[in-house]
Amino acid sequence: MDSWSGIVQGFSVALTPTNLLYVFLGVLIGTVIGVLPGLGPTATIALLLPITYTVEPVTAVILLAGIYYGSMYGGTITSVLLRLPGEAASVVTTFDGYQMAKQGRAGPALGIAAVGSYIGGTVSVIGMILLAPPLAQLAVSFGPPEYVALTVLGILLVTYLGTGSVLKSLSMAALGLLLATIGLDPITGTARFTFGEVALFNGLDFVAVAMGLFGVGEILHSLERTDKVQAVTSKIKGIWPTRKDFRDSSGAIGRGSLLGFAIGVLPGGGGVVSSLASYAMEKRRAKDPSRFGKGAIEGVAGPETANNASSTSAFIPLLTLGIPPNVVLALIFGALLVQDITPGPQLIEQEPEIFWGVIASMVIGNLMLLALNIPLVGFFVQMLRVRAGILAAFALLVTMAGVFSVNNNVFDMWVVLGFGVIGWLMKKTGFEPGPLVLAFVLGSILERAFRQSMLLSGGSFDIFVTRPISGGMFAFMALIIIVSAITSRRRKAVFGRVDPADVDETDETDPDADRQVAAEGSPGADSTTDTPTDGPSGSTSTTPGER
Amino acid sequence: MHGSTSASGTPAEGTTDRGHRWRQLHRIAPLLLLVLGVVAVFGSRRLGLGELTAPGPGLWPFIVSLLLTGTAAVLVLLDPAEDYEPWTRGTVRIIAGLVSLGVFILLFQTFGFVVSAFLMLVLWLRVFGGESWRWTLGLAAGGTAVMYLLFVELLGVPFPDGLVDAVIGG
Repeated sequence: MDSWSGIVQGFSVALTPTNLLYVFLGVLIGTVIGVLPGLGPTATIALLLPITYTVEPVTAVILLAGIYYGSMYGGTITSVLLRLPGEAASVVTTFDGYQMAKQGRAGPALGIAAVGSYIGGTVSVIGMILLAPPLAQLAVSFGPPEYVALTVLGILLVTYLGTGSVLKSLSMAALGLLLATIGLDPITGTARFTFGEVALFNGLDFVAVAMGLFGVGEILHSLERTDKVQAVTSKIKGIWPTRKDFRDSSGAIGRGSLLGFAIGVLPGGGGVVSSLASYAMEKRRAKDPSRFGKGAIEGVAGPETANNASSTSAFIPLLTLGIPPNVVLALIFGALLVQDITPGPQLIEQEPEIFWGVIASMVIGNLMLLALNIPLVGFFVQMLRVRAGILAAFALLVTMAGVFSVNNNVFDMWVVLGFGVIGWLMKKTGFEPGPLVLAFVLGSILERAFRQSMLLSGGSFDIFVTRPISGGMFAFMALIIIVSAITSRRRKAVFGRVDPADVDETDETDPDADRQVAAEGSPGADSTTDTPTDGPSGSTSTTPGER
Repeated sequence: MHGSTSASGTPAEGTTDRGHRWRQLHRIAPLLLLVLGVVAVFGSRRLGLGELTAPGPGLWPFIVSLLLTGTAAVLVLLDPAEDYEPWTRGTVRIIAGLVSLGVFILLFQTFGFVVSAFLMLVLWLRVFGGESWRWTLGLAAGGTAVMYLLFVELLGVPFPDGLVDAVIGG
């Protein structure tokens, strides 16, 4: 099928009343949870996984995708108005966005972010239409060794890009792979690690694990911090940016779109990395870099464009290779698996309505977001009045009832609770749940591909390096490991000194001076991504007091 | 990550003492992982490793648990303490909250959804959320009703039979 008829088919799927309703629900929920600091897109998608079984697969993905890119819009609002990033990818927006708000230019900051996000999302959709089909075509020829390489690469990159401590992430990935082996062996039917518990024969339920780690774990963790959120009282005026604003930020939006698209496609990429990279790029390009951190509109436009572009292009590896490049996509991957659809190279051919339907829904969803955001910013800000305690109570109840509804099984509720405890403890001890869940999802694919490869090669590991594509991927992985081993020592030396100062300074006046150190060197990006995820807790705890 | 900074940064006696004890404690996390890894290594060997040409059910778990054991072992020795958040008074609340969730599951099994959901919402809103009684009772009653309608009537989820069903059924 050529792209054009695919697009036509996609719109015929996305424009059905049900799917229109779900894309609207998705972007609305996404915006709302983007505004609410306690609940990120990962937690929300985890919480809503059970609901997706009651609808068609394409509708499920449309809903979840809407939540993901919708949250990128929503996170901007609180970053600009309160210097309180609603989700990690918006941390960068606080640097200049909040300064603009202080100068009475909150409206244009939000306006340009919405416009930029729209453009970034649209550019990414176009890129996806052009890039995804040929990529899938290439991937059709992949055999088991290539899949081993691809899944290992995915896990490795998420491990390396996701957090400061690579080793901790690696051990979490190993734990995820181990947990994935619980249940009956897919080939011999032997029960593995089930301890005689019949409920474990089918393995741990992915939904229960994800809901526990991200849903319950994050709710508990955010509840422990008792920050008081202050609602904005002043009216936001003149949200539509002036012609000068557009002129100033057009370059940033253009570059942000391309950069975000490229980073989103890479495993381990996604919102945070792309917005940081865009900010660093704009600052480096600027004639007068000192304006950054003092309300430069490019510093809002670029990163906001980039994070939305990346959240769209992140669907490319999922829908063409069957490899989720980040945790949110891993959850969407899991949602599809439960619906008996394995995303992969054949998806475009076999389930064209899913691939093209989701793409078309993104076009519609981004338009809806633009329409929602410009006039309704004031309404979304009011969401901040919802108190964290109420939110937590209801989110937990929905989690518990929701996980029961998947298999009508009380055992899954205990699994959620168990993983909730683990998720919270992991947060407390600096272990990232992301690599665990990603590895858990990919575990069975990896094991099957590995065993098939061994059968193919007669037990020789040569098969992984002698085939050009898998060999290339393993060479790339080796390169990553070597480069990061060399840079990590240097990074530790730098960050060991910078870190405490970093936290202090962010809370005072000039947030970008030290952040910039982090954002500039791209190998340093792995620890940079860690900074923002911890950042909200670090900077928000004092910010509200300041206002 | 700022936990240890503040713990070791403040010269007050109590905090240094706590910080010291903390440093001993924090290695429990990788130790637990290490134990889990070792147990899994032996568990997968018992499952039967087979040959590389004909992998047994235990081979893949074996490889994976070796990776877990290896990383955990290094972490026990090298784990940077600064990733660890301090335990606060909030922690006790969280543990109480977790216990309440366990109680909720037990109540759910015996009394059904309505009673257990209402009680859980009351507890969470009043005790953990600090809402006034008026808000608590109103939100809990309304929330339970909405959830019941959503899950049972709209989605048709067969929650365990409970008190309310018995009353309605009778």
